[in-house]
Amino acid sequence: MKTLFTATAAVALLATAAPASAKIANGTTVSDIIVTDSNGKQHNLSDFKGKRVVLEWTNDGCPYVQKHYDTNNMQNLQKEATLGSDTVWLSVISSAPGKQGYVSGEGANALTTSRGAAPSAVVLDPSGDMGQAFAAKTTPHMYIIDEAGTLVYQGAIDDNSSARKSTVPGAKNYVRAALADLDAGQPVAIADTAPYGCSVKYSS
Amino acid sequence: MHAISFSSWMRLSLFRLVLSFLLVVSFAATAFGRQTETLDTGKVTASLVSSLDRVAPGETVWIALRTELDEGWHTYWRNPGDSGEPVQLTWALPAGVEAGPIAWPLPYPIPTGPIVNYGFEGAPLFPVEMTVPNSAQDGDRLSFVLDFYYLVCADICIPEEGQLSLDLEVGEPIEDVIWGPQIQAAVLSSPRPGSVRGAAELANETLSLTFTNFPDGTISGAYFFPFDQGVLGHSTPQSFRLGKTGIGLMSAPEFLWANGIAETVQGVLTYTLDGETRGEVVTVATNAALDIGAPSISGPSMGLWAAAFGALLGGLILNLMPCVFPIISLKALSLAKTAHGERAAARRGAWAYTGGVLVTFALLAAGLIAFKAAGAQIGWGFQLQSPKVVGILALLLFVIGLNLLGLFEFGSRLQGAGQGLTARGGLSGSFFTGVLAVVVATPCTAPFMAGAVGYALAQPALTTLIVFLALGLGFALPFLLLGYIPGLLAKLPKPGPWMETFRQVLAFPMFAAAIWLVWVLILQTGANGTGLLLIAMLLAGFAIWVFRRGSGFAKGLALIVALGAAALPLTLSTGAADVKAAVLDSEVWSPERVAELRAQGRPVFVDFTAAWCVTCKVNEQLVLKTDRTQALFERTNTAFLIADWTNRDAKIAAELERYGRAGVPLYLAFPASHDDVMGLVLPQTLSFSVLEETLGQ
Repeated sequence: MKTLFTATAAVALLATAAPASAKIANGTTVSDIIVTDSNGKQHNLSDFKGKRVVLEWTNDGCPYVQKHYDTNNMQNLQKEATLGSDTVWLSVISSAPGKQGYVSGEGANALTTSRGAAPSAVVLDPSGDMGQAFAAKTTPHMYIIDEAGTLVYQGAIDDNSSARKSTVPGAKNYVRAALADLDAGQPVAIADTAPYGCSVKYSS
Repeated sequence: MHAISFSSWMRLSLFRLVLSFLLVVSFAATAFGRQTETLDTGKVTASLVSSLDRVAPGETVWIALRTELDEGWHTYWRNPGDSGEPVQLTWALPAGVEAGPIAWPLPYPIPTGPIVNYGFEGAPLFPVEMTVPNSAQDGDRLSFVLDFYYLVCADICIPEEGQLSLDLEVGEPIEDVIWGPQIQAAVLSSPRPGSVRGAAELANETLSLTFTNFPDGTISGAYFFPFDQGVLGHSTPQSFRLGKTGIGLMSAPEFLWANGIAETVQGVLTYTLDGETRGEVVTVATNAALDIGAPSISGPSMGLWAAAFGALLGGLILNLMPCVFPIISLKALSLAKTAHGERAAARRGAWAYTGGVLVTFALLAAGLIAFKAAGAQIGWGFQLQSPKVVGILALLLFVIGLNLLGLFEFGSRLQGAGQGLTARGGLSGSFFTGVLAVVVATPCTAPFMAGAVGYALAQPALTTLIVFLALGLGFALPFLLLGYIPGLLAKLPKPGPWMETFRQVLAFPMFAAAIWLVWVLILQTGANGTGLLLIAMLLAGFAIWVFRRGSGFAKGLALIVALGAAALPLTLSTGAADVKAAVLDSEVWSPERVAELRAQGRPVFVDFTAAWCVTCKVNEQLVLKTDRTQALFERTNTAFLIADWTNRDAKIAAELERYGRAGVPLYLAFPASHDDVMGLVLPQTLSFSVLEETLGQ
């Protein structure tokens, strides 16, 4: 499974032989990435063609993640985005075993319940392969893939990089804005921003 | 306005002297300096310190947040890098007092796995300059209240915050004996704008930064920290290159470049000048480049004459390389024959051969200069990075092999041993032997040659030409000597029937060389391209056969078929070949991977090689692929990285250029104890003992 993922991700994303953690450009077609969710179910990102996919890198121990969950900001965005059925929201946990944020499938489900979160699925990526393929740097780090399988947004969730919860209401939410642009049939106006937060806890 | 009187300075100085003494004998250091209560926020102990204990109206005082970080924890610079959040200070100030910006300490890149942050460890100070109003009265007490916030991270991150306040009296100024000097030192080392100018531009999706106008001294490393995110990839190592009048850094562009970057970006350039690291705020002009001059390589830097001499020696040694030897032998044979005829003819032949060699080297130099002017990243052996050239060369060697075997002659009027394409009678024959010898020699790199060619390529066109001509002269020298030293000529074996046999024997090294080129082509183009070449060989063989046997019409047909055969390799292009160099337990080289492995504390060995590089293959067989080398790598936990230059690759070419090289092989070692960004360059004729000595430490 892991090797399958590695191979397919490598072919799909890194065909240009870029180093493992090089950023992928907006406009890149994301396909044939097989991931496993917290219920042990496998998903191939290319199966989601025709739907929009939001990727959210997360780590429940990270203060920046807590900022968005403790204020219900992330949960609200998840519910808003997945309303109807044409958007898939994947929360991705790339923490390596023993590192902050690493959880079992059950642990991930318990977190979803206790936080009232509403992702379509929680992807477990303890090897960090998926994180490295997308060059995910921080938690949270957000990506939007459009119906054609093209990466159209990557970066921060909003424009306030503080860990303070009081900064959530006044912030401009880039993900919400990008989804609205897509709904309006327009290209995403702000498509590439600097992600902020804790570093993704990859195995080192 | 108060000024410190001479007598108070004396008193102060005396006091400081006594105090310094006291400091040495007691550990009660902090008791003497003005410092707020320390506040333990968790992973950090924070306090407020001041440069003065008493401040005069209208004067300035530096007040600094001092943070002592627990071992292994770090806080962040104004641009925190890939993740994190900067240290933030919010002041509540007495009426009329104005606060300046933070005088940030020098940041450091802090790697964690694949992520790089910019920040601080240890006990950084964050000084802020406060201007006290003229209206302040002696005896007033000024209260500075600071709300501070920082994210402190090790493998996990914790936001910490707190409030500290410090009171200062207004009056005749008194320097704080403990913190005054420390804050002063921190302010002095904090980066400010200076003389250094910077520029940045995109080239081949690489971000090229250039800096000039440095103070005098030797620069041995540099790093650019942009103030804003989105300028460059923080986790991309910045490869350093030293020019005569400046430095260059290569990194990866980030999203600001896609959205139309501003005309200038600011940041801090830290650089090591004469062993001391300092930083300067630099305004970098975007979409521009500064002339940093030719590479200035501290170690193996050489002048024109040294390079020319090296090239001469390299050219001489090139004669012994396996790719050249058969051709040279033939030439020697033909010379020997002539020599026993007429001396003057031998000299003319030697000069014609030299002419062929020099003209070909000059053409090669011109090609390199032209490609370089067009901005291509190329070097020695670049011809063989084109599958078309490899294909034609393989075909040529095959046909020469057939010729040597005696299947056909070029021009039936000529006869005798040692006469074929390469030894056509007369001067044009000698000239073309020279051309052919150079063409066949390109995959070989001889000792002394690499440095000289590397130097030449980094120099103005004229110098490049001179060094290449010196190389050619060295290459042709044995024949010139033969022509002019009578004793030598006489020592050549006497011609006889054995020469026919010898000539046929030489066909087999030719076929072997052709096989090797076919193998190179397999790596370059995959099975399809190779098939095409083999068909071309078949057609060539067929054409030769028809030509020999047929009538006038058949001869015409044969000519067309031969032309078709020669044209086939021209359709070759670098294809879907995905054959990785299958040697040892190796990884594909990238600067990022080297940095990553070194960050893990592993020794690293990098093999810059190419399928068409004979010296590389010899080293692989004799040294790198041996069991004891494998065992050495295993024992020392050395990571073995391969940079395969078989096909053109700008990144590899750029790395070779950093080391003043124009071609492969290049062997770099980064032993665990090595702390320079530049690796140790090992000799091109590699030996196990050198590897053991370098990596076994």
